[in-house]
Amino acid sequence: MRITHRAVTQTALLGLNSNLSAVTKLQQQLTSGKLISTPSDSPTGTNKALQIRQDQAAVEQFARNISDGQSWLDATDTALTTVINQVHRVRELTGRAANEGTMSAASREAIAVEVDALRDSLLGVANSTINGRPLFGGVTTGSVAYDRDSGDYVGAPPTAGGADLGITRRVSNADQVRIDITGVEAFGPQGADLFDVVDGIADHVRNDYSALAGDLEALDVALDRLLSATSSIGARSARMESAGQVNLDMQLTLASQLVDVEDIDLARTIMDLNQSEVGYKAALQATAQVIQPTLVDFLR
Amino acid sequence: MSSTFGGLNTARTALWASQRGLDVTGQNIANVNTDGYSRQRVELRAMGGTAVPAIHSVSSPVGNGVDADQVIRIRDVFLERRGQVESAKAAELTVGDEALAQVEAAFREPGETGIQNMLAKVWTGFSAVANATDPQDPAARRQVLERLDILANGMQTTRATLDQQWLQTRDNLEALAAEVNSTASSIADLNTQIRQATRSGLPTNELSDRRDLLVGQLAQRVGATSVAAEDGMVDVIVAGTTLVASGSALGVRVAGADSPDDLGAGDDPRLVTVPGGTSLAVGGTAGGQLSVLTSTVPRYRDSLDQLARDLVTKLNAVQAQGYDSSGAKGDLQPLLDDGSGTVPVDPATVTAGNIRLRVTTPELLAVARTSPGDLGAASADGRNAEAFFDLSLEAGGVDATYRALVVGLGVEASVASRDLEVQTVIATQVDSARQSVSGVNLDEEMTNMLSFQHAYSAAARMVTAIDEALDTLISRTGLVGR
Repeated sequence: MRITHRAVTQTALLGLNSNLSAVTKLQQQLTSGKLISTPSDSPTGTNKALQIRQDQAAVEQFARNISDGQSWLDATDTALTTVINQVHRVRELTGRAANEGTMSAASREAIAVEVDALRDSLLGVANSTINGRPLFGGVTTGSVAYDRDSGDYVGAPPTAGGADLGITRRVSNADQVRIDITGVEAFGPQGADLFDVVDGIADHVRNDYSALAGDLEALDVALDRLLSATSSIGARSARMESAGQVNLDMQLTLASQLVDVEDIDLARTIMDLNQSEVGYKAALQATAQVIQPTLVDFLR
Repeated sequence: MSSTFGGLNTARTALWASQRGLDVTGQNIANVNTDGYSRQRVELRAMGGTAVPAIHSVSSPVGNGVDADQVIRIRDVFLERRGQVESAKAAELTVGDEALAQVEAAFREPGETGIQNMLAKVWTGFSAVANATDPQDPAARRQVLERLDILANGMQTTRATLDQQWLQTRDNLEALAAEVNSTASSIADLNTQIRQATRSGLPTNELSDRRDLLVGQLAQRVGATSVAAEDGMVDVIVAGTTLVASGSALGVRVAGADSPDDLGAGDDPRLVTVPGGTSLAVGGTAGGQLSVLTSTVPRYRDSLDQLARDLVTKLNAVQAQGYDSSGAKGDLQPLLDDGSGTVPVDPATVTAGNIRLRVTTPELLAVARTSPGDLGAASADGRNAEAFFDLSLEAGGVDATYRALVVGLGVEASVASRDLEVQTVIATQVDSARQSVSGVNLDEEMTNMLSFQHAYSAAARMVTAIDEALDTLISRTGLVGR
């Protein structure tokens, strides 16, 4: 085959260009640290990367949901514990008033006053808020769960229209955890709740001994209800905790997956770059040697 | 019996032939790097004696020297045709590859600035709204509305980029049509000159080279091929239509829609002849640009529009089933619309170009799911916000559609660049093969130069020898009678 200098130049140029573009590509990967900079670099990798990024955003949000839910549950737990302690004190006072029938009117009044104060304090705890929302108010838009004066429940009911109305936090794509407990569930139904019972005790201590025995029973029922509410909150808190752990693991897994898909393997890329640089230099050298000499150089 | 001075004449033709050979060698060396130049060669032919001997002729002639009248172009027509076809294909693929790279740039994936990231931010924003359902605190709601606005703007930007790409490509096609017209008329002019020169017996090598170079350019621009015609002219044919017939050329112009919004109405952009208006199925750069105009860009544009429609339909459906802070049902306050503000929103009129956030007051975001009728008051349950978030988990949801779009784009772009790579190698190889026939090889020219130089010296010596012989005859003979 006849070879011409133009043809040699063209072929050499094509080879040099492809060598140089390989070097450029690797250099770009090294400087950006990314294996995939456009979808065409790796369509399947892009798909994975997009999916992982979406999952990452969701999981990060779940982490916020979990810590938010956790703080809500913690606050509820603290409030319930306080309530239980105070109810124990009410029970103690009630027992004393019921047993010591010969108590002076002044002593009875003292007990009644303390019970009244405890009832107000209980109501205060039942109205505790987190981020401006009442802990025991359910999905109410109001700022309190119980009316401060009458002690009536003004929050949202636990169910309405046949649907459960708990406040929930999404802890994973598939899982939602309820984080609240309404006043009705924790303190008893409207008209027979803890505050009515305690209110009744204060009244009975002053005026009607005989009813105190029944009040004690009602108090026990309320205590049982409180304890079961606490344990339910505790169980949900534990669930939240494990969800948090899973979430943390998930964040790490996703991050490392994204790195696997998107980021370069530094050692390998540097080696590849060196290799293609060697190839490029060799091509340059060969081209220089082939293109330079012609017969002109050897004619005298 | 040859004449006395026959030998001198023979030597003269040899001198002349060698000189011409050196001239042509010089021309070849001068044009070693000229684009489209085909090397030339002097056709040397031995001149014979009398072809029709007389009856009593007894002469035994040795010939009359050498004829060096013809200087020919050395080329391979088959390889030139091949080169036209392959370079046209390479040009077409180059345009397609570049267009897809531009589309990829418009989508900005994968990364922090793409639509995927904006979508993810919207979903997490809704989840955050579910956390902070306090109606007195619109911060989280405002945040999700801002993110929706960013998403709508992002879609508009991407779509505007695609539109701009389309308009630019159409402008380029217009410019290309003008270029094709001037090239075609240049070819026609050259054809005319070549015919005149051929008819008057003048050499046409350089003219033909220039014309073939122009034909090669037309091949790249519109996928033209050439057919030899009489008197050394060529006809240029584009997709079965003769663009240049000997000395006359047809024009082309771009016809059809001049905005991407007018596509699909049977008036897509195309190249038509002037006069005639026949539409041409062109190849080359123009073919690539036409397929960008009628297929590549509109396809991704439509996908993006569909995505916008899906988004509007789904978000508005969820909004409609919830209740806002005041307890009003969300169906009267669609979240997104087509910018016209009409309620209900007709998804068919929504595109990625006009998608707009309609609800700008945070309180109007329908976050709650429990009816105020059931509860007796506005509800603060964040269930509708959760329902918004659930959209991101749907199997055939907006995210999945968008991912499929981006992955499809990636596959198409990588196939296009691989095809281009292969085609570039093929085109270069064919061009090298053509060069190997018609290109100038300096080594060869040097050896030719040497041989012509030696031939010239030898011919000159021949003249001297005959001169000496004649000198002997004229000066030294016939002295007897003196």
